Amino acid sequence: MQAVILAAGEGMRVRPLTRGRPKALIPVANRPIIGYVIDALVKNGIRDIIVVVGYRKEQVTRYLNLLDVPVTVVVQDKQLGTAHALRCAQPKITGNFLLLPGDNYIDPGSIARIIDTENAMLIREHPYPSNFGVVLLHGGNVTQILEKPEQAPSFMVSTGIFSLTPSFFDYMRENDITDAVTLMLEDGKTLHGIVADDWQDAIYPWDLLKMNARLLPLIQPAREGTISRNATIIGPVRIGKGSTIGPNTVITGPVIIGEDCEIGANCCIMPDTSIGARVRVEPFCMVGNSLVMDDCVIGSHSRIVDSIMSEGSILADHASTCTSASLMEIGDVIIRGSFGAVLGDEVHAGPFTAFKNCIVGNNVKIEGGKRVISSLIPDDTLVI
Amino acid sequence: MCGIVGYIGKKRAAPILVEGLKKLEYRGYDSFGIATMADPIAIFKHEGKISENAPSALTLNGTTGIGHTRWATHGVPNNANAHPHTDCSGRIAIVHNGIIENYAKLKRQLISRGHTFRSDTDTEVIAHLIEEHYKVDLLAAVNATILQLQGSFAILAISSGENRIIAARQASPLVIGIGDGEFFAASDMTPILEYTERAVFLQDGDVADLSPDKVSIYHGTEPVERKTELIDWSFEDTKRGGFPHYMLKEIYEQPQAFYNTVRACPKEMLATLIKKPAQITLVACGSSYHAGLIFRYLLEETCRVPARLEFASEFKYFPPPVNGLVIGITQSGETADTLSALKQAKIHNCWTLAITNVLGSSVSRVADDTVYMRAGPEIGVAATKSFTAQLAVLMQMVTCLSEGNAGDDLLHGHRAIEEVLLRDLTDAINLCRNASSIFFVGRGPFYPVSLEGALKMKEISYIHAEGYAAGEIKHGPFALLSRDTPVVAICMPDETYGVMLSNIKEMKARGAPVIALGLDGDKELTDIVDIFIPLPKTHKFLQVITSLVVLQLLAYHTAVALGRDVDKPRNLAKSVTVE
Repeated sequence: MQAVILAAGEGMRVRPLTRGRPKALIPVANRPIIGYVIDALVKNGIRDIIVVVGYRKEQVTRYLNLLDVPVTVVVQDKQLGTAHALRCAQPKITGNFLLLPGDNYIDPGSIARIIDTENAMLIREHPYPSNFGVVLLHGGNVTQILEKPEQAPSFMVSTGIFSLTPSFFDYMRENDITDAVTLMLEDGKTLHGIVADDWQDAIYPWDLLKMNARLLPLIQPAREGTISRNATIIGPVRIGKGSTIGPNTVITGPVIIGEDCEIGANCCIMPDTSIGARVRVEPFCMVGNSLVMDDCVIGSHSRIVDSIMSEGSILADHASTCTSASLMEIGDVIIRGSFGAVLGDEVHAGPFTAFKNCIVGNNVKIEGGKRVISSLIPDDTLVI
Repeated sequence: MCGIVGYIGKKRAAPILVEGLKKLEYRGYDSFGIATMADPIAIFKHEGKISENAPSALTLNGTTGIGHTRWATHGVPNNANAHPHTDCSGRIAIVHNGIIENYAKLKRQLISRGHTFRSDTDTEVIAHLIEEHYKVDLLAAVNATILQLQGSFAILAISSGENRIIAARQASPLVIGIGDGEFFAASDMTPILEYTERAVFLQDGDVADLSPDKVSIYHGTEPVERKTELIDWSFEDTKRGGFPHYMLKEIYEQPQAFYNTVRACPKEMLATLIKKPAQITLVACGSSYHAGLIFRYLLEETCRVPARLEFASEFKYFPPPVNGLVIGITQSGETADTLSALKQAKIHNCWTLAITNVLGSSVSRVADDTVYMRAGPEIGVAATKSFTAQLAVLMQMVTCLSEGNAGDDLLHGHRAIEEVLLRDLTDAINLCRNASSIFFVGRGPFYPVSLEGALKMKEISYIHAEGYAAGEIKHGPFALLSRDTPVVAICMPDETYGVMLSNIKEMKARGAPVIALGLDGDKELTDIVDIFIPLPKTHKFLQVITSLVVLQLLAYHTAVALGRDVDKPRNLAKSVTVE
């Protein structure tokens, strides 16, 4: 069995996090999302994996190189759609295959359910179906897919994971998979709808926090690095090589801390927090339910909760985030998101900066003492 | 990273193993060895590349055998540490890829029970453990042994008297190839693809028993079925891991190479070395010479300490330094000129320091001290990640002497490299690909950067390119400037900024299109040049690195646009081992 993973698209709705990598490469619990997808395939004995890359293809390929499993990389030069991406992989496909998005989490058990069924798709109920392809079913078979309808007639949505035969290529006339599936259904072919156990997509940046909380309990607890004997560690916690945990720091799992980090003294790392590699959390900080990526610095006396900090962001002392929900304009939709702050790459903020429910673009520099409230600050802005 | 391969069948094993190891060389190449089934087991192992020592390995007889190619990260590569390793009696031989975390404890216990160790490797404990468990059945012995091991391993074991190979895997890659009346085992498909397309991928905890007529796989002690899969990858694809060229792969590996090298740099050793000598001399060739030149600028500017730099090949024609420190820089550690220059320096009572990428290479035996960069194996002929790693070591040295705080900036240098890897160079590439000649200019430490940029451009794109100190342009090369000769200028806001700007204006006045590398947000520069490539605002040392990475990318993409064979440029070899 072959598997085709689509990882060519940028994932514009999770900007600013996609500046240096596509959505599939965003680390959740310190591991890129596509890593979970490949893992689920390998656990089902699928070794012949084709990954379609496009946006920031070198970064994706470099990550794939670090894996144990060799994967075949196919380049989609222009991101014209999912079916077009699949067509790029067509010359390498020899028989029945699985088709998966590289930027959604899927558990191995669900893959096992469709692996032996020809023409099947994994489906799942979702509280906000209008963001997805809504699936209508009859007797376990799919009768119709409605792509992002304004009024969803059902909560059942497509996960984008299919088990297909090469005859599927006959229906790929447009650039999107959904169009091809619709043509296939119109032609009288059967498509089995199989319910997935666990599947997570992040449509907007703050959805990553939910995915993070879902995936963190799967970590293998480990204590490497240097941990002060006056530090308290409770629950499943994974601390990477070369990291130091200062005295009186309390870490309550599930928490993952990458390599070469410096945490504390006197810090509280609360549950559902992922901290990447080489991160410095200065004394007297509290970090909880957050995703802190590689090379960030959190200044002393800061409180970072319900927030995402992308690579290389530096907060001076006394930074704080305040969780609330306001309306945000993302792309052409207006949406309410409840979170503290989403900071892009290399955001530098001066002392006493407060963030309330805002998305801060890449390379934004903020002078000290500012309050950044309920807004979307574009890339490269200087806030004075 | 290491590579392992095993063969059992009707053909002679040695040639198949040697060919297989050559293909695994990308996983490491500082020592290798093979063992074939005979009574007792025949073993050949040797430090160095397999391509250079293959003939003697080919003489081993037997139709069953195992082989290993090593990339040492701990413990020097020498004949004793090379795999395969044997037990006390020499009747059991194994190869191993991975790390045994509890080996120190196991080794102590084994020694106390009377075992004799011949190497410093973690692998040897496995051989002795199998020996202890071995009664009549190698499979049972391996099964019992792996229960005692912690860490990661892919193991192949043979014992004289039993015509079989036992393979075991835990968190290190291992694949079994199914041929016609012959079977293979290897770290990945590359050595196997020539013989068969059918493969079985072992899972963690699996043990496979390979005999000439069948393969059985066990998990724990229970037999299990693992599916045979058809593989249709080509060999070249697998090695480059999806990148179109090694050079591009290595360019993108630079952030990691730089960080690893900065972190692993033995600062105390460098600090004591560099503080005492009367005179510091550097010897190097090619790109390494440019790294030395950058070092000289940074050292003299930051620490006010003079340093001398010579091409290794020219070193012998000058009066030698006496009682000084001589630093030899070579990626491969085998560059003949650099080796002979260091030998000569030693004769004149100089302390010698080597900076190299290959553990245990010739230069480390010649020099008194050696600092290793952590770039990993570099395959592309054009030096990229090894060059940034050399600079990482040299910049750490300057930091040691200046007692400044650039060290902290260096530790975050990988971020700046990552940043410039995102630059879109399309316009600059289109300009360069149609040029017959390109000039690279800079001042201060950016002068050697332009030399290196020109070297990269000419060696892989075959476009004539010259690097100049910007002030020298007017002393001759100015006559060559025209609309068809683009100029790549590196212009950073330091004390050379004003004069660089006027240089650029003069060149523009002669009609030459100018591509400028400057700091992000430099309006004045953007306005006067044709194409502006912004670099992130960082420490001066890192500006050197980021401008280099941009020039590497420019050379690479220009060469690809012209359809050149980037990884094997005509007439060039990776390391020059003759004078």
